[in-house]
This record gives sequence, structure tokens and C-alpha cells, in this order.
Amino acid sequence: MKINVMTDILEANDRIAAVNRQLFDSHKNLVLNLMSSPGAGKTMLLEKTAQALRGKLRLGVIVGDVETARDKERLEKYDLPVVQLNTGSACHLDANMIASALPHVDLTNIDVLVIENVGNLVCPAEFRVGEDFKIMILSVTEGDEKPLKYPLMFRESSLLLINKIDLLKYTNFNLDEAKANARKVNPNIEIVDISCVTGEGISDWAAWLSGCYKRKFGTNSLA
Amino acid sequence: MALARNIIDIAVAAAEKEKADRIIGVNVVVGELRGIIPAQLIFCFGLMSENTLAAGAHLNLETRPLLGRCRTCQEDFAVKDYMYVCPRCEGQDIEIVSGTELRVRDIEVE
Repeated sequence: MKINVMTDILEANDRIAAVNRQLFDSHKNLVLNLMSSPGAGKTMLLEKTAQALRGKLRLGVIVGDVETARDKERLEKYDLPVVQLNTGSACHLDANMIASALPHVDLTNIDVLVIENVGNLVCPAEFRVGEDFKIMILSVTEGDEKPLKYPLMFRESSLLLINKIDLLKYTNFNLDEAKANARKVNPNIEIVDISCVTGEGISDWAAWLSGCYKRKFGTNSLA
Repeated sequence: MALARNIIDIAVAAAEKEKADRIIGVNVVVGELRGIIPAQLIFCFGLMSENTLAAGAHLNLETRPLLGRCRTCQEDFAVKDYMYVCPRCEGQDIEIVSGTELRVRDIEVE
């Protein structure tokens, strides 16, 4: 006997993501799902972001790693609320993992919540966690062809940060080619060049964040 | 692995609702853009379905090509190499009409 099912495989995840999203909205949180390969500079970006947003928007972080609390230790030095999730064998964060972390986060004291996903260019793109936007980092040491090799992640992202541009002269990374490739996969993607080492572009990234916050809530920053 | 788990949960829930004794086959529709590796998903499904109603069931993956529709000239076309450019008018405002599917279509039970 045949039984018609027609159920989306990610439906259970998406349902929990919608609940997370409602909770974020009610606390006036702008939520970003930050994705990249390992070592692209996610944690260092957050260190720089904490400094750039100080006195303007209150940053909070949920960080996912397969093992260790090293990222949490790094970020807590900046006086941020940080929750570390260890995923064990899982290569991505899903909506349920985020839901389980939320009781440990004081959302009332956060304007911008960044969910730092597990370093991986594949699986994180499949799972909504309740974010407003997916954003990603591509670092110049990874190669300018990555948007074509991992199209779903670039397709799903609203913003691409191209990091480590201070290293451009030491690599064969072609910045124009990388941007053209990203736009082939996603013509609407916004792109900002940054270096977390020299600080170049960090103010542009902070302006992008402030703009998103203002568009979502109609106010500039914390009351 | 997470996807295999979800497929099994969905199939078992549907079979239990119909009071079926066991699941023989599960038909899943997978879009090209999902980047699923069939052999890997089938392997995980086989392992994780042990001791469930879906034990021994055949997982059939029906892949759907990536198809786009140009919002400028309404042309439908197959998206090759993830290039979202209309072959007729070179427009870049492309709607994806197929290729992102990921669902359990139906199951075969007895």
C-alpha cells in the first residue's frame, strides 16, 4: 500500500526556528547566523565587532563548535554575554540546539545576537535557526572559486564579508573574480571587504549591522 | 545524518498513523541545489532505520534539476553550473522554480 506523505524533511526544524524567531522579535533582537569554513575569522570578526559596536548596539553571541570552549573564553574578554554550544559529532547548528541555549541567554540585554555556526561551508546553509539573515565570511586564503563550489551557502547569505584582505598580495586570490562568482550564484548578495588584523572595512560592516537594526526596529540603537 | 533521522521520523509517523506493520520503501524528492550525496544518505538511512518500522526499507531518491525562471522575460531554463543568468535576455533576476526540494513524497507499506 502506498501512503502519500508530502512532508518537508526540514519542517520540524523550521517550526522550531519560527518559535525562536518570535522570541527574538519580541526581545527586539537582530539575529544573524554567521557561517564560514574553519579558520576564516568568525571569532576574530566578533572580537572586532564588539569593539566597533561598543556604546551603540549591545552584542551577544551563541557560538557553536564541535569541541572546546575556546571561542567563549576569547569573546568573554570583551564583556559580552556568550553561550558556547558543543555539537559533538554534528557539523552544524540547528533550531533545536539554539532553542536549548536560549534559557542561558538574557535576550533583554542584547540588540544584536550573532549565532556563530560550526566552521563548514555545506550543512549550516540547510538549517534555519530563527535568524533574520544568514551572513558568511570568505577569507582570501581559501580561494576565489569557493562560491561556485559551495553555491547553496552563498545563495542563502544576504551579506558576504571577504576577510584577510591584508593578505591579498601574498596569494593568487582575485578579488574581482571572487565577487563576480558570488554574484553569479546570488545576484542580490551584498559584499564588504574587511581585514580583522588591520581593521579595514570593519566600520563598513558595523554600518551594515546598524542599518539592518534600524530597518527592523525603526530606532538607531539601545534606549 | 540529521536528514536521515528526519526522513525516518517522518516515514515512521506516517506508517504508524495508518497502522502499517512495516515500511518497504520511502520515496524522497531531492533538489539538485541541496547538494545531497545519495550514497551517503542511503548508507545513513540503512544504519539508523534498524529497529524501527523502516528497517530494511528501500530509500529511493528522486532528484530534481535546478530550473530557473527569468522574471524579466519569463523564460524557463536549466541553471547550469549555478549561473543564474537568463540564456534569452541575460537578465539576472531569476526565480528558482525547481531544485530546492527536500521532502518525503510517499512511503510504501504493508
